[in-house]
Amino acid sequence: MTAASVLSVESVTKVFSGAGKPDLVALEDVSFSVGDGEFVAIVGASGSGKSTLLRIIDGLLPATSGAVRVGGEAVTHPGFDRAMVFQQDCLLPWKTVLDNVAYGLVIGGAKIADAHETARRFVQMAGLTGFEHHYPHQLSGGMRQRVNVARALAVNPRILLLDEPFAALDAQTREIMQGELLNIWSESRTTVVLITHQIEEAVFLSDRVVVFSARPGSVREEIPVPLPRPRTMEMKRSEVFVSLVDRVWRLIEHEVRKAVEEGMA
Amino acid sequence: MGSISGLLDFLESKGRAAATARLLLSVAFVLVVWEAVASVVESRLLIVPPLEVAQALSEESASGALWTNAVATIGAVAISFPIAALIGISVGLALASSRFLALTAGPLLTALNSVPVIALAPLFIAWLGLGFASKFVIVTIFSMFPILVTTEVGLRATDRHLVEAARSFNASYWQIFRTVTLPFALPFIISGIRVGWARALVAIIVAEFFGAFAGFGFAILAAGQSFDTAVLLAYVILLGILGLSGSLFFEWLERRLAPWRQDQ
Ligand SMILES: Nc1ncnc2c1ncn2[C@@H]1O[C@H](COP(=O)(O)OP(=O)(O)O)[C@@H](O)[C@H]1O
Ligand SMILES: [Mg+2]
Repeated sequence: MTAASVLSVESVTKVFSGAGKPDLVALEDVSFSVGDGEFVAIVGASGSGKSTLLRIIDGLLPATSGAVRVGGEAVTHPGFDRAMVFQQDCLLPWKTVLDNVAYGLVIGGAKIADAHETARRFVQMAGLTGFEHHYPHQLSGGMRQRVNVARALAVNPRILLLDEPFAALDAQTREIMQGELLNIWSESRTTVVLITHQIEEAVFLSDRVVVFSARPGSVREEIPVPLPRPRTMEMKRSEVFVSLVDRVWRLIEHEVRKAVEEGMA
Repeated sequence: MGSISGLLDFLESKGRAAATARLLLSVAFVLVVWEAVASVVESRLLIVPPLEVAQALSEESASGALWTNAVATIGAVAISFPIAALIGISVGLALASSRFLALTAGPLLTALNSVPVIALAPLFIAWLGLGFASKFVIVTIFSMFPILVTTEVGLRATDRHLVEAARSFNASYWQIFRTVTLPFALPFIISGIRVGWARALVAIIVAEFFGAFAGFGFAILAAGQSFDTAVLLAYVILLGILGLSGSLFFEWLERRLAPWRQDQ
């Protein structure tokens, strides 16, 4: 919670309790903060509550206890200071690329013409010029995910929340998308919180990797990434990169082992 | 060989020309079989060749009976069916948006849907008389159920990820309904309307069987009782055309409103 921190997660705990089911503690006492313009990646085993945390930050879910603050203000519901890109394809199939990108703006009350003008800029930024009037089902998976990112950025959020945005893409497309995300980010200078299960992706893209422990999720360690910007593909072979990936992997491996042992006990 | 498979490929292809060719081909097929059977079967009570049916049709038209009947039947359906669709959509909406209603009224409506309500037609006529009211009620009740059911199913089937994405833009309940849930349910609703349309035609004929002084159902019954098979078949064919054109129209509408469901 430095002076420049734009997002702070303060002792967030989330318990899911359903009728007839035992309580499930998804997050336990999660705290970290993100500086203005910072790119933070969260890695952790599957089921460690990463998506749940992102939903709480976005305001889609209430925390059981603790608080999320954006610019000092407590988050109670979704707002235009945050925008989310979901793991699943969430484009409206009956809207064109342009209308999908304009969607958030229109929901926010912008005039259609203004929304389209802004949307056109972000369509271009996402490298989709010429596809404005295509429907999502006419696009490839990579293009669709670019539309998702463009739609989120179009509302000009202070914080961009990305939940495993490239998980469904093949390895080559994923690599290209990583580079494009960095380009877009360096242009827009928004703050980014990225969830990924790919350690290389986390290290390559971020300024800091937050490693989650297995369920109940909590922050196990925060690892700064001292690689210079702009990031290049060659850096992936550098000693710093390799040793960082190795370090994160060791932490995760430990968590996975712990989870397996707990499962056997 | 090559030209035959080429022809089949053409018939299978999408597009208006292929669809028209398919339709013409099946009509021609029916006419040929019909003519063949009529030339084998002697009794003109059982079957009448196509040409005689066409003749009967033009006589009905010349005498003005055709138009009286058409106005009675199409008029009754044209007023009842839109109202049935409106009621079906509204009740489906209510069921989809209220858990209480879905739990209480839902099972009752499902039970009613599986009862052949059409069997109650004589009862409605006894209550409401031979006029428009009984036809209206019979058509409305019988045709609204598929619309009601598909509306509820469509609204409930909405991808919850799409709803969550809308929520993340802080969309209100009404905005989510307008921009996500309703467009998602629309093709479901229209396919319900398509089924409802076929039911509406059945309902109006049954209603006219039991009590009417004009209409296709009345004419069919009268022709049957005077053993005039040519006139009977003429009206049945008109009904078929009415049903088919409605079905084609709603199919077209479904494609127009949900282009993403076609070529994926
Ligand atoms: N709405 C919910 N109701 C009940 N349990 C949930 C809900 N959402 C997530 N969970 C549970 O919380 C845990 C964490 O899920 P999630 O946040 O999706 O993990 P991750 O994204 O790290 O894989 C999982 O065990 C999941 O089953
Ligand atoms: Mg997840």
